[in-house]
Amino acid sequence: MANTIIGSSIVIDGEISGDEDLVIQGTVKGRISLKESLYVESSGIVEADIDTQNVEIAGRVTGNIVASDKVELKADCRVIGDIKSPRILIADGAAFKGNVDMDIKD
Amino acid sequence: MAVKNQSMFSNNTVVGPSILISGRLSGDEDLTVRGRVEGEIVLSHTLIVEESGIVKANVEVKHAIVSGVVVGNIRATECVELTPGGRMVGDIVSPRVMIVDGASFRGRVDMGEAQGPREAQERPATKPSYTAYAPRFSSALRPPSVPRPPLRSASPPAPLQRPAAPRPMPVQRTVVTAPPPAVASPPEHLPSDADEDSADAKPLPPEPPVLMDVNKKKVVVKKKK
Amino acid sequence: MLQNNPINIIRKGIIIRGSLSGGGDLVVEGQIEGQVDLKNHLTIETTGKVQADIRAEQLTINGEASGNIDASSKVSINASASVNGDIRAPRIVIEDGAIFNGSIEMDVKLPDDI
Repeated sequence: MANTIIGSSIVIDGEISGDEDLVIQGTVKGRISLKESLYVESSGIVEADIDTQNVEIAGRVTGNIVASDKVELKADCRVIGDIKSPRILIADGAAFKGNVDMDIKD
Repeated sequence: MAVKNQSMFSNNTVVGPSILISGRLSGDEDLTVRGRVEGEIVLSHTLIVEESGIVKANVEVKHAIVSGVVVGNIRATECVELTPGGRMVGDIVSPRVMIVDGASFRGRVDMGEAQGPREAQERPATKPSYTAYAPRFSSALRPPSVPRPPLRSASPPAPLQRPAAPRPMPVQRTVVTAPPPAVASPPEHLPSDADEDSADAKPLPPEPPVLMDVNKKKVVVKKKK
Repeated sequence: MLQNNPINIIRKGIIIRGSLSGGGDLVVEGQIEGQVDLKNHLTIETTGKVQADIRAEQLTINGEASGNIDASSKVSINASASVNGDIRAPRIVIEDGAIFNGSIEMDVKLPDDI
């Protein structure tokens, strides 16, 4: 269960970091670095570089994403930026523009 | 799937204990801080800093409840409460301030003691004033951040209750100087505003010599170019 | 001796101008202008007005006070109080409804990393 919620009317301009799950229903601009999961809900708008373990995106994200475990782009999300993660899921209906790097080693 | 997430979480913003936010945070809902926020917080609702919460920021809110640590200034339109565990260093501007036993605080407290205009105009003169009850009514009635005009119309009754002559004076003076342009001389004033724009096209005979001069100067400048 | 301090009361209608010092508890229902230096507990009742720098062990304000306050244990500003001035004390309480303008100095223990 997520501890941290950024509600839909909240705008953060700056940097968020921490060791717990983060749910974004509002707007975050800047940088996000987490050791756990990030959920960008359908009302969420993120204009930030993201560095985390897991990301689930149902809202809008502009920025580069680095996830140590998994990135999930859900239906109706809109993501612009490069994604680097060993596992990437893109649902039917998701809008995505950018490069995907699953970091495959020989 | 997205819907599942949506319904899973309440619509209240919480900054968890391990989270650090640095930057500017603004919004129209309550914010509970269990972690750390540095920078600036601007909310139209309530800020709750829980025991584990640390806020190192300038804060503008309606209502602040501090059980954790705040370093920075708080400006609240309604109320600031320091609960038993609350620790704060900084200045407070708020019509209501509560500090309970066990809380610790260092800084200034400004409850605005009376009507808004007086607060702004006479703050430099720090002569202590005994304003027992009248200010409490007025401070309860108005949020301090409300713009001036409504306060003017609301404030005249308050000076009447106060025997001290020198303080109400500036308020009354502003009341006198401000309304006349709008109330006493609307017929003169409105056309003269229009003159500024239309003078070039249609030189109107009437009053304001100042404006005419301005317009003439403008014309001269244009010619030189 | 100190345990059996008599309680002194300055009744309503009395005005004291000058400096007031001593031991024992003092209740002010009237007015004091000047300076107060008290070893024990000073109470300013709702009718009381003190326009003075105050030093005391403990201070309870229900009325009006203006001036700087230095208390060695506690200052309570109750709901009916109106206080102007700077306060220094280890414990300071401001009730809802009280009017206070000035600065407060308590010992604030902050986390190290702030």
